[in-house]
Amino acid sequence: MLYAIIVAVVVVLLSAILIFNSLIRKKNDVENAFASIDVMLRKRYDLIPKIVEAVKAYMTYERELLTGITQLRIKALSPAITPEERVIIENRLGQQLTSLMVAVENYPDLKASTNFLQLQGTLNEVEEQLAASRRAFNAAVTLYNNSIEVFPSNLIASAMNFKRRTLFEIPLEKREEISAKPTVNMA
Amino acid sequence: MSRYNNFREFYEKELRSDLESIDLRRRVTNKKALTALLITAIAVLTEVILIPGDTDFPKPVPIIITAFAGLVVIGIVSENYRKEYKEKIIARIAGYADEGLEYSPEGFIPMDAFVRSRIFNLSCDKYSGEDHFRGKIGKTDIEFSEVTAQHRNNSGTGGKRSEEYTTILRGLFIIADFNKHFKTHTVVLPDTAEKLFGKFGQTLQSAAFGRGELVRLEDPRFEKEFCVYGDDQVEARYILTPSLMERILAYRKKWNTRVYLSFLDSKVYIAISMYKDLFEMRPFRPVADYAFLEENLKFLNLITEVVEDLNLNTRIWTKE
Repeated sequence: MLYAIIVAVVVVLLSAILIFNSLIRKKNDVENAFASIDVMLRKRYDLIPKIVEAVKAYMTYERELLTGITQLRIKALSPAITPEERVIIENRLGQQLTSLMVAVENYPDLKASTNFLQLQGTLNEVEEQLAASRRAFNAAVTLYNNSIEVFPSNLIASAMNFKRRTLFEIPLEKREEISAKPTVNMA
Repeated sequence: MSRYNNFREFYEKELRSDLESIDLRRRVTNKKALTALLITAIAVLTEVILIPGDTDFPKPVPIIITAFAGLVVIGIVSENYRKEYKEKIIARIAGYADEGLEYSPEGFIPMDAFVRSRIFNLSCDKYSGEDHFRGKIGKTDIEFSEVTAQHRNNSGTGGKRSEEYTTILRGLFIIADFNKHFKTHTVVLPDTAEKLFGKFGQTLQSAAFGRGELVRLEDPRFEKEFCVYGDDQVEARYILTPSLMERILAYRKKWNTRVYLSFLDSKVYIAISMYKDLFEMRPFRPVADYAFLEENLKFLNLITEVVEDLNLNTRIWTKE
């Protein structure tokens, strides 16, 4: 009888340790993923002045847009804002950069400049990486949220005061509908 | 495309005369092969009847030697026009499909590239291939060939040791330049565990030995078909954007078989499991068969379409 109790206690303790470790790991994954978003955002901050500089000379009608982008960047970089505000600013910055790239279509000279094309390529890359790191963050948060809500790990999570994290809202990428029927017979 | 309006015209002007001369040789060769077969059969039969069964000399030995010799002769006489067919006809069809496409009948994707892709975990012990194509489609370098890769299983010990081979892949192997730079390794595999075991399968997947981390993507249809392992969660998603996932799903549907992808060194490696022997001639059918050759061309196009299917020519990122 005594042995049975000892075994039961050991099993419970061991699984508690395992659950605890896995919770910590998931929490750290969330933090890591968040940090990687930050890295990408910083890359974008570094890029913005270069882009503004490159297009300024060509663009005559988009002064307002350019000033708006520059100011949003300054706001986003200021330490006084809350994370929620920052998310809103980042989203607007993203939208304005998109409109800037659309406006570029009206300036053939600009589109021919290698310097600009290079910057545009880098921006596309940073945006794509930003989207990827947001998705990675959301995946990590989903795993984490699930594990703090399901039994039995929720017991340990609530004891440690782990809170649900919110997901990033990702602007829906336009999905191309590609439909394909099998065209090959593998027999 | 080429100077010709359509494949029919190309066929008539470029291929027809060669096809007919190959066909002539095919018929002559078939006759020779048939004669060789007949002689072998008669010789074997004679040996079976005439060699007495009660001598010390083992009866099957000369029979086997004769049969083997016959097969070798048949092989030699048939091989040469098959080679000519590939070099003259298939190579030109490749040129018609895409001017930059080079064809080498004997060549294949080297084994180290196959192994490097880390699509398959089993060690590759026997490797062969044929029908190697290489070229540039738009901005994208591409090469592909048929390959057969096998793994050796040793069973038993001592005198009872036996070797058996399991097939790792028989089919197509494609290597194409990817349109983005990346540093880590990501692999997309057909999802067998999740299909069979559901949620429990996911647990199995995360324990997959020798792979990177399991990457859980947000598209449930993609997750149902594939499981993804990567060295870096962010980079895996940088490669596998929602639109690429959609494209990969459509690509798998198009082939309707198991499709494996590996992203490594800014390239994509694709393995397609397939039991069809491509770009071969049929010894007992006329060579000048328009429909058959057109089918070959279609198949070739289907393979090179990967560039479009996965949108590899779009170079809006820093990679040129």
